[in-house]
Amino acid sequence: MADHLVRFDTAPAPVSVPTGTLLSDAAHRAGVDIQQPCGGQGRCGRCAVRITDGTVRRRSTLRLSNEDVEAGYALACQSVIEADVSITVPPQEKIERRLTTDRTAAEVQVPDSYDPAQVQTVRRVRLTVPPPSMDDQTDDWSRLQIALRKQVRLTEVGISVMQLRRLGHILRKGEWDITVILDSQAWDCPDCPVRLIEFKPGLMEDRDPLWGVAIDIGTTTVSLWLVDLISGEVRAQVAEYNGQIARGEDVISRIIYSSKGSGAEELRDLVLSTINGLLQSACKQVKIDPHDVFKATIAGNSTMIHLLLGIPAQTIRLSPFITAVNHIPTLTGRDVGLDTHPDATVDCLPGVASYVGADITAGVLSSGLDDTEKVTIFIDVGTNGEIVLGNKEWLVTVAASAGPAFEGGGVADGMRATRGAIEEIWVNGDTYDPSYRVVGSVKPRGICGSGLIALLAELFLAGVIDKGGNFNTNLDTPRVRIGEHGPEYVIAWASESGHGRDIRLSHVDVDNLLRTKAAIYAGFTILADSVGIPFEAVEQVLVGGSFGKYINVEKAIQLGLLPDLPWENFYFLGNTAIRGAYQALLDRHARERIKDIANRMTYIELSADNTFYEAFTSALFLPHTDLARFPTVQAALGAPIPQ
Amino acid sequence: MPVDIPKDKWPGEVRTVTLGAAAANGGTRGSVVAVGGEKALPFMHFETDTPHRPALAMEIMDRLPEDWSPLLLEFWGDTAKDPAVWAKAAEDAGADLIQLQLSQTGADGNPTTPDAAVAAVKSVLAATGLPLIIFGPGQADVDNELLVPVAEATKGERVVLGLCEDKNYRTIVAAALANDHLVTARTAMDVNLAKQLNILISDMGLPLERVLMDPTTGALGYGIEYGFSVMERLRLAALQGDAMTQLPMIVTVGYETWKTKESKVGQDVPGEWGNWLERAINWETMTAMTLVESGADIVVLRHPESMKRVRAAIDELMTVPE
Repeated sequence: MADHLVRFDTAPAPVSVPTGTLLSDAAHRAGVDIQQPCGGQGRCGRCAVRITDGTVRRRSTLRLSNEDVEAGYALACQSVIEADVSITVPPQEKIERRLTTDRTAAEVQVPDSYDPAQVQTVRRVRLTVPPPSMDDQTDDWSRLQIALRKQVRLTEVGISVMQLRRLGHILRKGEWDITVILDSQAWDCPDCPVRLIEFKPGLMEDRDPLWGVAIDIGTTTVSLWLVDLISGEVRAQVAEYNGQIARGEDVISRIIYSSKGSGAEELRDLVLSTINGLLQSACKQVKIDPHDVFKATIAGNSTMIHLLLGIPAQTIRLSPFITAVNHIPTLTGRDVGLDTHPDATVDCLPGVASYVGADITAGVLSSGLDDTEKVTIFIDVGTNGEIVLGNKEWLVTVAASAGPAFEGGGVADGMRATRGAIEEIWVNGDTYDPSYRVVGSVKPRGICGSGLIALLAELFLAGVIDKGGNFNTNLDTPRVRIGEHGPEYVIAWASESGHGRDIRLSHVDVDNLLRTKAAIYAGFTILADSVGIPFEAVEQVLVGGSFGKYINVEKAIQLGLLPDLPWENFYFLGNTAIRGAYQALLDRHARERIKDIANRMTYIELSADNTFYEAFTSALFLPHTDLARFPTVQAALGAPIPQ
Repeated sequence: MPVDIPKDKWPGEVRTVTLGAAAANGGTRGSVVAVGGEKALPFMHFETDTPHRPALAMEIMDRLPEDWSPLLLEFWGDTAKDPAVWAKAAEDAGADLIQLQLSQTGADGNPTTPDAAVAAVKSVLAATGLPLIIFGPGQADVDNELLVPVAEATKGERVVLGLCEDKNYRTIVAAALANDHLVTARTAMDVNLAKQLNILISDMGLPLERVLMDPTTGALGYGIEYGFSVMERLRLAALQGDAMTQLPMIVTVGYETWKTKESKVGQDVPGEWGNWLERAINWETMTAMTLVESGADIVVLRHPESMKRVRAAIDELMTVPE
C-alpha cells in the first residue's frame, strides 16, 4: 500500500500516511489540533480545512456548499487521503464565521431615505404665540390655533381636556414660545384633522429626538423597540415573557380564562404591566421619561390585541371563528392604558382573521413577501405558527397552532434567547457529550429555540432518540438517565451551569418539541397543497420568529421543521412582527401597505376538515413518516462513515 | 356481448411472514403458517391469486382468566386451568395458531415470575405443534421482564412476541432479533402511527419479514368502521408501494368482542337481544368477518364456535369461481 505525504500549514513537518487514512487522523499524527465536536461524523462542519495542493476523496460534504468544495474545502473527518496533499487549517473563529453564513441575522437599519417630514405622522412644530393684552383678549386656545393656522397652515386641530388644563401654564412658562407635538395621517392636506398630543414650553431643537415605540405582543414573548422618530434609529430593544403566560400558554387557554369572572381584566392588566415594564426599562436605557413617548405602533395576534384592548375574544375560539374587530381605529395611550404620554397615538395594526393577526401582516410587510416576484413561503415560528405563501400577486395563509416550545416555553430548561441561553449545540456521536455556544459566552442557564432545534436534530442523528422521539436508555453515557419525568438527556451538569443545577432535555420536552415542529410542517404542507404548488416550486423560504439570533437550517431540516429545500433558499429574519411594526411606526406608507396586505390575504381555515390532522400525525416523526420528503436527511442517516 | 371486468394492477405487494419453525429450520413445530403475500385487495381472485388464506388463532391464557365472559369459562371449563391442556384443545378445535396471553399475576395473586412465564410457554409448545403468538401482560416493564426470558427459552421457534408499541418496542425487538423470533407492532388506529412504528422496528435491524402489524380494532358497534377504514388504507398504501405498510395485519377480535356488553352480559338486557350465547358468537363472528374483508391476515378468536363459522366463511371467500 502506497504512502502519501500530507503537509499542514500549521505543522512544522509533513507526515507520511498510507492510502485511505482519514485526513483528521493525519492531522492528529502531525500534531495539528482540529476540533470535532460532532465526534467525526461530518455533521458539524467545524473540521473544515482547505486543500491547497493535491486532492482528497470526500466521503460526505454535508456541511459544505458546492462553492466551498470548489474552493478546496473538505471536512477533515470525512476525507480520505489518496495522494500527496497540502492542507491549510483555518483558525477556529474563521470557521465559525463561515458556518454562520447560512443563517442571516439582520441588524436593524433605518430605511433608506427615511424623511420624517414626508412619511412620519407625528411631528413637532415650534410656534411663537402673540401674548394677550388688554387690546387683544383672545383666549389661549384660540391664540394657539391662530398661530397654528398662520405659521404652519393647520386648520383642524383637536385637543384633549387634559392638555387644555395645562395650556395656559405652559404658554406663560415658555413666555409664549411653545413646541407643539401633533399627529396627522396626512400632512399634505391642511384641512385634514390633526390631533395635538403635547406641548412644551420654549422652542425645542429640530434635531432633538421625538420618541415612539414599536411593540409586538406575542403569546409568549413581548418585544418593544424605542425609536427616535426624527432619525428613525432604534435606540433600545427590550423583550420579556408575556405576563399572561401564567394564565395559559396558548391563545385558546387565554381566551377561556378571559371569559371567566374577572379574567379579561386580569389578562389585560398582566399584558399592560409587561408592556409598561418594558417601556420603563427601554426609557431608562436612554434616560427619558415614558411620558415623552408620543406614538406606539402595536403588532400582535388577534387574541393578544383583543385582550390588550379589553374587547371580548370568545368568538375567536368558537365556530365560525371570527374576531370582534380586525381593523382597529387609532387610539391613545390613555385609552389603552400605556404609560406613554396619555395622548400618544396608539396604532394597533390590522389583522386578517382570528388566527392570522397583525403580527403576520406586519411580518409580511417586513419580509417583503408582498413585493416579490418569487414564490415565497413566510413562516413565523411562534406560538401560533402562522404561514404565508405567495408573492406580489397573491397571498394565502394558515395558522398551525404550534405552541411555545421554540420560544423556550413548555420546555423545562427552555428560555428566551438571552444571556446564558445555549443557542447552538453539537452532540458527539461517540461519547454523546455536547459542545455548545452560549449567548454572552457565560455559563449556560437554559436553552433557547435555536439551541433546542439543534439539540433535537443532534440527539436524533447521534441515536440518543429514535425517529419517534423515544430515548435510547441503553447507551453507555451518564448523560442519558431516568429523571423524575422519565428518560432525559443532561446537556450541562450542575457544575457547568450558571445556576448550579443540571440543564436537561426530558422526554416530555421532546414530545412538546415534536408536536410543535409537526404542527408547523403540517401547516406548510397544507398550504402548498391548497394552491397545488409542489415544494420544489417555492423559490425562497423566509423564517421569522424570536427563537434566537441564529437558527441552523440544516438542523431544522433534519428535524423535519423546515422543508428539505436547498439551504441558500432560506433567509432568517428574526422577529418580523416587530420589524413590521417599526416600519409602520416610521412610515405612513408602510402602514397603508399593511392594511393592503390584510385585505389581500386569503385565509385557509384548518379546522374545516381532517386533512390537517393527517398531515400533523405524519409529521410527528423525525424527520417525517414519509422519508422521501427529506432526501438530504435520508442521505445523512445512510451516509457511510469512513473507517 | 362479453363484459370486460376492469382489473387493478398494483405496484406493491404485502410481505409474506412465516410463523413457527419446523425441525428442519431449527424449531419443533409440527406445522408452520405463512400469511401475507397479497398483490390485490382481499379475495379479488379475478385480479390475482390470493397466496395465503387468513389464519385463525385461538387465544388462551397461562392461567384461568376469571374476568372473561362466563360463557367462555363455561365452555372451556377445567381446560382453561392448564395452558398446555387448553392449547391442545384449541388445536383440536381447528386453530391454525395459538395466541398465549401471559397474565400480570398468577392464580395466587403474586406477580407472574419470568420462570413461571417460561414454564407456561414451554408446556404449550410441548402440548401443541402449532406456531405460537405470545403477548405479555400489556404493561411495558412487565412485558419486557417476562418476554426476554421467554424469547431466550424458545430460541429458533419463530414465535411472535407482542406487543411492541411506540413507547416500548426496543427490548422486545432486541429479544426477537437475538432469538430468531417475530414481533407484532400495535398502534392506535392510525395509518401514520402504524407506519412510524414499523419504521422504528425496521431501524433496529429486524427484517420486516418478521413483523406483523396490529392496527387495533374495535368490535362491531364499537368503532369497527374506523378500524376497517384504517386497515383498508394501510392495505391500499401497501399495494401502492409504500414499503413500511407492506406487513400482514393481525387483529385481536376475541379480546375486543368479548368485553362488549352484548357478549358479556346475559341478564337485565332487552328481550329482543335474543339468546345470549348465540348473540355473543354472532358478535365475534361478524366482527371477524368484517375485518377479514378489510385485509386482516390473522384473526385471534376466543370461542371455537366462532372459529368454525369464520373458517367456513373464509372457505367460501377463498373459492375461486369457475
